Amino acid sequence: MPVKSCLTLFKPFTLCLRARAEYSQSFPFAVAAAPTPTVPHNICLRQGLHCTTARLQDGSKSDASSSTSSSSYSEHYQAHSAKHDAAAASQDDSMSYTAAEEASRPNTSYQDQDGEQDEEYETEEQLQARILNAALEFVPLHGWSAEAIAAGAETLGLSSASSGMFSNGAGDLVLHFITQCNSKLTEILAEQHKQIQLGQTEPKKTADFLRDAVETRLRMYIPYIESWPQAMSILLLPHNIPDSLKHLSNLVDDIWYYAGDRSTDMNWYTKRAALTGIYNTTELVMLQDSSPDFQDTWNFLDNRIQDVVNMATTAKQAQSTGEAVVQGLMGAAVTLKNLTGMNQRR
Amino acid sequence: MQMAAHTGSHLFGPLLARQCLRCRAPLRQRSCAYSVVPPPLDSEEKRMLDRFLRVDHAGEYGANRIYAGQMAVLGRSRTGPLIQEMWDQEKKHLQKFNEILAESRVRPTALLPFWNIAGFALGASTALLGKEWAMACTVAVEESISEHYNSQIRALMERDPERYTELLHVLKEFRDDEMEHHDTGLEHEAESVPGYWLVKNVIQLGCKAAIYASERI
Repeated sequence: MPVKSCLTLFKPFTLCLRARAEYSQSFPFAVAAAPTPTVPHNICLRQGLHCTTARLQDGSKSDASSSTSSSSYSEHYQAHSAKHDAAAASQDDSMSYTAAEEASRPNTSYQDQDGEQDEEYETEEQLQARILNAALEFVPLHGWSAEAIAAGAETLGLSSASSGMFSNGAGDLVLHFITQCNSKLTEILAEQHKQIQLGQTEPKKTADFLRDAVETRLRMYIPYIESWPQAMSILLLPHNIPDSLKHLSNLVDDIWYYAGDRSTDMNWYTKRAALTGIYNTTELVMLQDSSPDFQDTWNFLDNRIQDVVNMATTAKQAQSTGEAVVQGLMGAAVTLKNLTGMNQRR
Repeated sequence: MQMAAHTGSHLFGPLLARQCLRCRAPLRQRSCAYSVVPPPLDSEEKRMLDRFLRVDHAGEYGANRIYAGQMAVLGRSRTGPLIQEMWDQEKKHLQKFNEILAESRVRPTALLPFWNIAGFALGASTALLGKEWAMACTVAVEESISEHYNSQIRALMERDPERYTELLHVLKEFRDDEMEHHDTGLEHEAESVPGYWLVKNVIQLGCKAAIYASERI
């Protein structure tokens, strides 16, 4: 019976493996997470079943094969539930798994070829990103410099001369780091936004949201805080200014977007200008902060956010006062006209 | 066998449910991700759509201010209700573009305060010269706005009519509204103004300059 079930199980497992291979191809990071040596029996079975049900629903495939595989599944399941011998079950698993692996090998090797082709077609940008990622580890040692890039390239088994790929040298490294931090923050904010939409967390007040977002973003600099002044000076070099400004405006725009700002008037500009100011001044304070866990910086950030909130309320009050004054003056003018008999619309 | 069927249904239940969830998730995501403007594929398309939406928003904003200026002068005259009716439609257009701009994260033009004043001044000054002048102004402005919508519709149709169906629908609807205002203006003796040709061309030149500037700044 176990041998037979192995053979009949063959099909769903192959399907399962194929599905897994496709999955890991589309999500490369899942490869590491995929449990290869001991496959949890249940998950694999479910995936296999899922494949068969998908095939059934598809209808375009031959009905015969899918029905046999699904029936073999239920047969196997019956056999399993009948005997509660865990050891035998695990042996059964590993046997069927290896058999399925062997059978699907041509398939996976074909996909490997595909993968290699992808590697050949790895764009220059992707390679550069890999080198720069590796180079970040050497920043505390070499600073934001071409040496760090060269050291990073060497860890990838590339020649240190490949730092010549970066025409802008250290500037490319810093800009890459900033891009990475920005996208990390966007991911975090998007996740929070999703949780609020699902009703799992309460939406924060805008001021708190901004404060937390800026703090999260600035905390990404902490590992590099010693050499960050150097990075800032590189960003301020004339040829880096357009890019660094673009990154800054993207960052501020992302934060406001997730803070729920949907303004389409001049508020769009004032809000972004205010947040840019807060972010940049806080960054400068952070560089000189020696308090534990940068507590002074976060206090400074709190105060600046509070300033902006106060300013906004003052502006709102001034506006409503202004409107009231204008209305009062108009009323007075009409009264005056009526008194002097100059009003034509009597 | 019965037992197998029983356990089978137990297993099938959550699976089917999960599959249903899986089917629904992308649909919901798509419906909330965009309703009018498709997510741009590359930076070039994004720039084009940004420019289109920014200038349309600015145009509707300016038109609103022109009608506000006309209403400030002619609000209590006999043409008041007519202008109010056209203004209400423009308000709806502006509302729609506010939504689209916020949703697709397009920067509004930085010239809005300028259009605020310029639009109101144009509306009020033509209205002060009389109802016919106000109508001539409406005809000139609406004509250039609908021409501008037409050129956008043409550009989008050339690229991919399937992809921009929703946006094209909105633009066509608004274009038709603007043409209606144009015809209303002509019905109300817009052409009886002395130097109608000159007035119209001066205003249309101004509109073209405004469109050019709003697309870029």
